[in-house]
Amino acid sequence: METFTSGKLTKVKSRHEPSVSKQTGFASPATHYLEPTIDLNQELVVNRDATFFVRVDGDAFKEHNILNKDVLIIDRSLSRSFDALALMVQDGQFKIRRIPFGFSEEEFTVWGIITYIIHYAR
Amino acid sequence: MIALVDCNSFYACCEQVFRPDLLGKPVVVLSNNDGCIIAANKEAKTITEIPMYEPVFKIKDKLISHKVNFFSSNYTLYGEMSQRVMNILGTFSPNVEVYSIDEAFVDLSGMKNISLKKYGHEIKDTIFKNTGLPVGVGIASSKGLAKLANKMSKKIAENDHVFVIDSEEKRIEALEWCKIGDVWGIGRKHAERLKNIGVYNALQFTELPLQWVRKEMTVVGERTWRELKGEPCNEFVTQPPPKKGIGTAKSFGVKLPDLERIEEACAYYISEVSEVLRAQKSCATYVQVFIVTNYHSNVDKQYSNSRTVTMDIPTNDTFKLIAAARKALVEIYKPGYRYKKVGVNLTGIIPQDYVQGNLFHQPSKLNNKKLIETFDAINRKFGKATISSGLVGTRVIEWELIKKERSPRYTTQWRELLKINSKHLPNPLQKGNC
Repeated sequence: METFTSGKLTKVKSRHEPSVSKQTGFASPATHYLEPTIDLNQELVVNRDATFFVRVDGDAFKEHNILNKDVLIIDRSLSRSFDALALMVQDGQFKIRRIPFGFSEEEFTVWGIITYIIHYAR
Repeated sequence: MIALVDCNSFYACCEQVFRPDLLGKPVVVLSNNDGCIIAANKEAKTITEIPMYEPVFKIKDKLISHKVNFFSSNYTLYGEMSQRVMNILGTFSPNVEVYSIDEAFVDLSGMKNISLKKYGHEIKDTIFKNTGLPVGVGIASSKGLAKLANKMSKKIAENDHVFVIDSEEKRIEALEWCKIGDVWGIGRKHAERLKNIGVYNALQFTELPLQWVRKEMTVVGERTWRELKGEPCNEFVTQPPPKKGIGTAKSFGVKLPDLERIEEACAYYISEVSEVLRAQKSCATYVQVFIVTNYHSNVDKQYSNSRTVTMDIPTNDTFKLIAAARKALVEIYKPGYRYKKVGVNLTGIIPQDYVQGNLFHQPSKLNNKKLIETFDAINRKFGKATISSGLVGTRVIEWELIKKERSPRYTTQWRELLKINSKHLPNPLQKGNC
């Protein structure tokens, strides 16, 4: 009687796993200290469904340390608290302002709160 | 209780979120190929001289003279914004049934000791704050009534886009207000018949005897009848059933006489639909291909034909499906005509785990599987059609849809982010100004 093998059942591991050293058989001392690598999406974006990225074109927002070609991370869900840096709309145009004390959305409407400014350094 | 949440003039509002300069101005969105208007905001709808669903070339002058802003459809953007809305709804209830790109039923059963009206406002305000999209919320004890409540929330200003049918008086009021032709589930033919027997609004419909409704309008009509009485009959469907057939057919940007270009388009559509097929882990048994000339044209000779190819073994392999489609296309193609459209349909769809071999063909031992997986991974990472079958060709532009006025894909493409500057000039990518 002939038998056929239907292929190996071992799982293919594509990445090196520091917890097992194939050469020595010694477990890595880091085994119990492993953590996932930093993911900027997790760090910089709290509420994904309310977060938008916006690119700055020009030097008009220098006073807020926002330069040409910077990318702003904007969270629309955040509350319009005093002094928060915000992307606002006035007469249909985008502006960047800090939210003044006792702010009401009459003259300006807030598009979203700027949480991070990504600046390309090269 | 069930809420129906739907976005007001969804496509136009998606455009306006990124173009606040257009708030309060008329905005329309055109169909694929910029053929006709498929969506308009309320400002555009009030301009009565602009007929919906008319070919754009006929009404372009009117659009321009009324300063209507028009956009080619940007489904990438609308789809992504829709996803955000649905995710937010998911924070308000564990059961959300996505009914279409811009509406969803939200299960509010078991929510006690809260004001549903307040909850509805909270849903509306959160979606507007987080996405910039305005929505209407209708809440009632059945889907049919929720749909009706949603209509009332918008049509009557004092409701402020949230309406709850939570008492018998409100139900009667809503039913009386709703014309028979506007009832969810009653088509035009039935509406005509009902009007002939003196039923003009939804209330009168619910006063008909059940036996009559069942006899004349089948169980579908009965369900509508019961739902309007507040008895839920339509189940909540949170998992959409797998598609039975997947197809696509779009008109070319220009009329194409030669086989080569049509083959490219056909191969491109096959890659699109086979991607959908793989996403739902299914295989197709039949591939149908059809071609048509422009039947609106008086000067061109007319021809259309279609052919269906049966696959040896059901598959979702782009390359095998393209080969089959090509065979069909070559058979039906006749030279000497100017073709307007090629379409493909995949049918006989079964789960990929159920694919059986036969005496002559074995389900291919995964030889292309890795390739296809890599293929999909690359296209996911770098954007649609970054790599494709050689048959698709690189001159996609010659037959690709006309999307002259498409807005940037603000939320999915790093290079097309919303640009802000101080000069207040719309940047070159931002179209829509006449």
